[in-house]
Amino acid sequence: MTGNVIEARGLSKDRVSSFLLRRSPILDGLSLSVKQGETYGLLGPNGAGKTTTVKILVGLMRPDRGEALVLGEKAGAQSALRKIGFLPENPYFYSHLTGLEFLEFIGQLFGLKKTELRDRVKQLLELVSMTVDADKPMRKYSKGMLQRLGIAQSLINDPEVVFWDEPMSGLDPIGRRDVRKILLDLKARGKTIFFNSHLLPDVSDVCDRVGVLAKGKLVAEDEIKNIVHSGGHKDLEEYFLEKVGG
Amino acid sequence: MSPVFAIALNTFRETVRDRVLYAFFVFACSITVLGILLGSLSVGQDIRIIEDIGLAVIAIIGGIISVFAGTNLVYKELERRTIYVIFTKPVSSWQFICGKYLGLVGCIFVVVLAMGLFLLGLIWMVEPSHHVAQVPLLGASLGLVFLELLFVLALATFFSTFSNPIMSVVFTISLWFIGHLGGSLLDLSKMSTNAAVQQLLSSLYWCLPDLAQLTRIRSVLMYGREPSQEIIIYMLAYVFAYIFFLLGLASTVNERREFP
Ligand SMILES: Nc1ncnc2c1ncn2[C@@H]1O[C@H](COP(=O)(O)OP(=O)(O)OP(=O)(O)O)[C@@H](O)[C@H]1O
Ligand SMILES: [Mg+2]
Repeated sequence: MTGNVIEARGLSKDRVSSFLLRRSPILDGLSLSVKQGETYGLLGPNGAGKTTTVKILVGLMRPDRGEALVLGEKAGAQSALRKIGFLPENPYFYSHLTGLEFLEFIGQLFGLKKTELRDRVKQLLELVSMTVDADKPMRKYSKGMLQRLGIAQSLINDPEVVFWDEPMSGLDPIGRRDVRKILLDLKARGKTIFFNSHLLPDVSDVCDRVGVLAKGKLVAEDEIKNIVHSGGHKDLEEYFLEKVGG
Repeated sequence: MSPVFAIALNTFRETVRDRVLYAFFVFACSITVLGILLGSLSVGQDIRIIEDIGLAVIAIIGGIISVFAGTNLVYKELERRTIYVIFTKPVSSWQFICGKYLGLVGCIFVVVLAMGLFLLGLIWMVEPSHHVAQVPLLGASLGLVFLELLFVLALATFFSTFSNPIMSVVFTISLWFIGHLGGSLLDLSKMSTNAAVQQLLSSLYWCLPDLAQLTRIRSVLMYGREPSQEIIIYMLAYVFAYIFFLLGLASTVNERREFP
């Protein structure tokens, strides 16, 4: 054990275009590691490969080269999946399930017992302020409501590590404040957090460390306190723009 | 609750709550009624004809529902991106496929049962004195239809794991049809003089499903006789083995899949 909860070594992933099977890299030798209890923010312009990185870390995709370990296990292994929570990038839904049924379904995938599940679901619905709408079918939810539900489902197993792909997207200011609160609370409980976001002020508020990804390569990585206080940067935005050459 | 059951329940709910299902159901009922009304104009109509029409409609509509629901099974999860949520939970590919399949089986069971009860009601309405003793035979025929639908569902589930709905529909219906040709492929291979062709045809026969037995049992039932026990056991074993084989294959294919 290296003591790192998330460990990526030389991850590469190519996209094979259907035309002449030409390969172009999505990720190119990406290495990063996140310690126990750390909050890590992965930044980068659109199409940089952030979502791809997260998908590899949760086992939805396999790297072409390199390896990814989560909690000492190969990314995507069942034993690792038991202890992580994942929030995908876009809202997704089952047309005919209610929010409540959806959360119960997710809990059942972890084999939670009936009473335990009921309490957990109730608690999570409150956490994301969705108690009132819990009995509406998911197709009638707004984007932000789906996002809240997504956050709730990612926490159903009280995970050690959470992977959140743009947790703030689609949320109103109250929602963003709530998510920030949830993040800080997870952090206080010693959970490891890995997330992507374009909302730099929020990132700057909650992260310990950030990495900047551009065209599939990690172009910069530093602790927030070095960037903002001693690094001579006005804020995270200035740092970001400098690194990606915007 | 195990993941298989959770996925099955979820699939069942998703399918049963879809309005399209009810449209099909109403359609099936009206066709049956129409068929009977038209039929009763002819003289000396036998109650068996009503049964035949009803069973045929159940088989066809059940088949259509199975093919469409089955081929959309995995595709819908992909399209709505719910698959991301499922496969980042501790759920194996086999559990996923099994759960999806069982959920649909539950749904088809409800459909067949409801249509069967409707048919029974109709029969009693047309001839109140009839039946009671005949009910088990009707039940057996329905069971046979259900067995066939189980097979069609497995085919559809299999194709839906790696191809788009339209192709899956085409593949599923083709194989279903080929299944009914059954032994003709074997006969054909015997007729051929070319050894290689013979070999090819007979090995094709062994891979492809053979549902001819189903038809045979059905015709036995139609004459109000009981089919022999061996045939029934053979048929059950054959269909279930084939279903296991298809689902196993589906989960192996699914295991290797990435979800970009
Ligand atoms: N389903 C897909 N099929 C083919 N290529 C894809 C697919 N999804 C993403 N890509 C490609 O992979 C690259 C990285 O995409 P990715 O989604 O990881 O970016 P991102 O950093 O998350 O961007 P964003 O900030 O817009 O979410 C992009 O160039 C994109 O074109
Ligand atoms: Mg992204």
